[in-house]
Amino acid sequence: MTDKRDHSWVRSAAFQAFVSVAGWLTFGLVLEGFLGYKMPAYLHDGVRRELFRLAHAHGTLLSLLLLLSALACDRFNLEVAKSGQVSLRVGVTVLPLAFLIAGVWHYESDPGLAIWLVPVSAVMVLFGLVTIVLSFRQRKDS
Amino acid sequence: MPFKWEVFTAASLVCYHPHSPGFNLPTLKSVSITLGALLLVVAIVLLARPNYVGVRAGRADENYLQSQDCKSCHEDHFNSWARTFHSRMTQEARPETVQGDFRQHNSFEYLGVKALMERKANGFIMSFSFPDGRTQTVSVDRTVGSRRIEQYLTRQSDQYTRLPLAYDLVNHRWMSLNGSFFHPDNDNYFQHLSQWDGNCVFCHNVKAQPHIDFKTKSFNTEVSELGIACGACHGEGADHVQEALSPLNRTLWHLDKDKPKLIVNPTKLPAERSMMICGHCHGQRVPEPYDLIQTILTRGDPYNAGDDLTKFYRPISQTTQIGKVSFANRFWQNGSPRLTAYEYQGVLRSKCFINGQPGKQINCLTCHSMHEGDPAGQITEENRTDKPCLSCHPKFSATSELVAHTRHKQDSSGSRCYNCHMPKVVYGVMSFHPTHDITIPNPAQTVTHQVPNACNQCHLERSVNWAIAESKRLWPTHYESIQKSDDKQFDFPEGPRALFAGDALTRALSADSLSGNGPMTPDSNWAAPFLVEALADNYPIVRFFAANGLSKQPWVVVKPDYLANRSQQEQLLSELRRLVESKFGEASRAAGLMSEELRKRRQDVDLEVGE
Repeated sequence: MTDKRDHSWVRSAAFQAFVSVAGWLTFGLVLEGFLGYKMPAYLHDGVRRELFRLAHAHGTLLSLLLLLSALACDRFNLEVAKSGQVSLRVGVTVLPLAFLIAGVWHYESDPGLAIWLVPVSAVMVLFGLVTIVLSFRQRKDS
Repeated sequence: MPFKWEVFTAASLVCYHPHSPGFNLPTLKSVSITLGALLLVVAIVLLARPNYVGVRAGRADENYLQSQDCKSCHEDHFNSWARTFHSRMTQEARPETVQGDFRQHNSFEYLGVKALMERKANGFIMSFSFPDGRTQTVSVDRTVGSRRIEQYLTRQSDQYTRLPLAYDLVNHRWMSLNGSFFHPDNDNYFQHLSQWDGNCVFCHNVKAQPHIDFKTKSFNTEVSELGIACGACHGEGADHVQEALSPLNRTLWHLDKDKPKLIVNPTKLPAERSMMICGHCHGQRVPEPYDLIQTILTRGDPYNAGDDLTKFYRPISQTTQIGKVSFANRFWQNGSPRLTAYEYQGVLRSKCFINGQPGKQINCLTCHSMHEGDPAGQITEENRTDKPCLSCHPKFSATSELVAHTRHKQDSSGSRCYNCHMPKVVYGVMSFHPTHDITIPNPAQTVTHQVPNACNQCHLERSVNWAIAESKRLWPTHYESIQKSDDKQFDFPEGPRALFAGDALTRALSADSLSGNGPMTPDSNWAAPFLVEALADNYPIVRFFAANGLSKQPWVVVKPDYLANRSQQEQLLSELRRLVESKFGEASRAAGLMSEELRKRRQDVDLEVGE
């Protein structure tokens, strides 16, 4: 076992997180614009409005979660399994996109088929977090 | 084969190596914990799922749902239904539902009884002061109707009773229901007091269950939902909703539109079966066998949308008789319905239906839609044109063919399919409506069967004999056999002839047509003297239509009150006669003479319109 951990993941995850936060915050601005300019396709479609809000909220919060995870791994020198790293990063990316796409094309009172990616990516996020939690324990034991 | 085993072994070693960055023991732990959390989520969600099936086990509406249950998945359909008059057919009387004037113009006197309608803090009341000094106050607990008239129900012990007064939502006035039915003036203030539980409840609500006790004659009425809601047309919904709880099932339904969804969709039924859904209420019926009435009044209406209606009911026809009660007066003498709520019978008689391809005949949904179009009629603007007819008769899309067919100008009312083939000769709720007995016009039937004909609906100033002669001239082959009548009354202009010589419904129809509510508006100066004379009619409903027509005249300052007492009516009639004589001189005198002559030929038959 070596003390030097692999920080390349941390750096790229943090970069991804900042880009993602910026992107989803911008999307939030777009939604404010839709509200401000009374865009019918947004205002009069309850399903779409809800899903776009979910996309914005999840995208922003999950990006911050990714950033937090990366910083924690760096701060506490955690060795996170690659599967967990990948799972977390993919989940954080896919989940809000799934909400967004499911809102763009949707059925009456039901999201579009893309909604099925939400639980899948949510499980991926959860798996990533669990691996991080377990890596705390692993570090303590080592 | 050996190669694959080596790969598997190497992969296993990688997975189970404690320091491997791939699938190692910590990773397996992560997978296990994640799966455990997922299973917990699934268990919580599945355990918390609602159950819709059999929530009212043992009841006739066991698997029926409320419209609010449909809203979460079908919000668009819910909203389109909620704007209709069907949705507000029966409502609890609350400030947000009651439209009648219980505050300002809230008194009404009729037959010496003074009624006061008030809104109190805890509800609505009607108070009656009778000529003998008695008073009575009743609560207004429910409303029936929300478009033309709003009727009121009061709950007395175990049942609801319809009160004698209603609010005319079109003319914004209180009225006695005596004025909306075909009875002559009489002194019975409570003539149209009626019991809701064993009668009205069935068509104005979903899955009515009166639960009558035949020994005590008491009711314990339940309905699946007040008003005409989702269940009325879509039937039981519990199985559908239970299946739809699963997002997987819903996804499969979205991907395969033909997959059975465990609920009735009227648009996907064969035409005849689809029409039965509407016909269940828009086709007054009697139980078949008649003994089924016991089940209907106790357990409830056995019919569910999508069922074969003939298994439970048969439509009332001209020949239907129950005991001493005959229903013949609800039909014109040729068997065509002349009241609303018989549209089903009308369509069944139509050649459009009879000659249609089985399963695909004309039916209600050919023209009407619950979820589209103007709530007034449940019909889109497009379907108010000739389009529905042209879908089966495209030949008449061409102007030349249309004009050759109708013998009228293309853009005239004589070239509109509905005006000739579905004339407004059916009465319902203070108004006249297109018949659903789609026929070829025949003016001779006015002579032989006293049926108003489409030709004279426009040509009110012409006689029936004129219409017969013109029909023979314009369509010699088709009308070869019809003959003019020797009865001199049919040489009179048909508008006034029907207004004075017809039975009450014919007279009311004529008053409405002369008022300009027919397909063509007559010269109001010609029609007005006749409408004044019609105010002398002893049927309030005839006076109603005449008063409506006269109120359009600029020289009629105050709209005649068709429910005024006799002395007031006579005074009003005298004043109006003087007025028309001063305005129209000889024409008014001629109208008076004509009305006297024609009244001698009148034969009245009181019409029971559903109670």
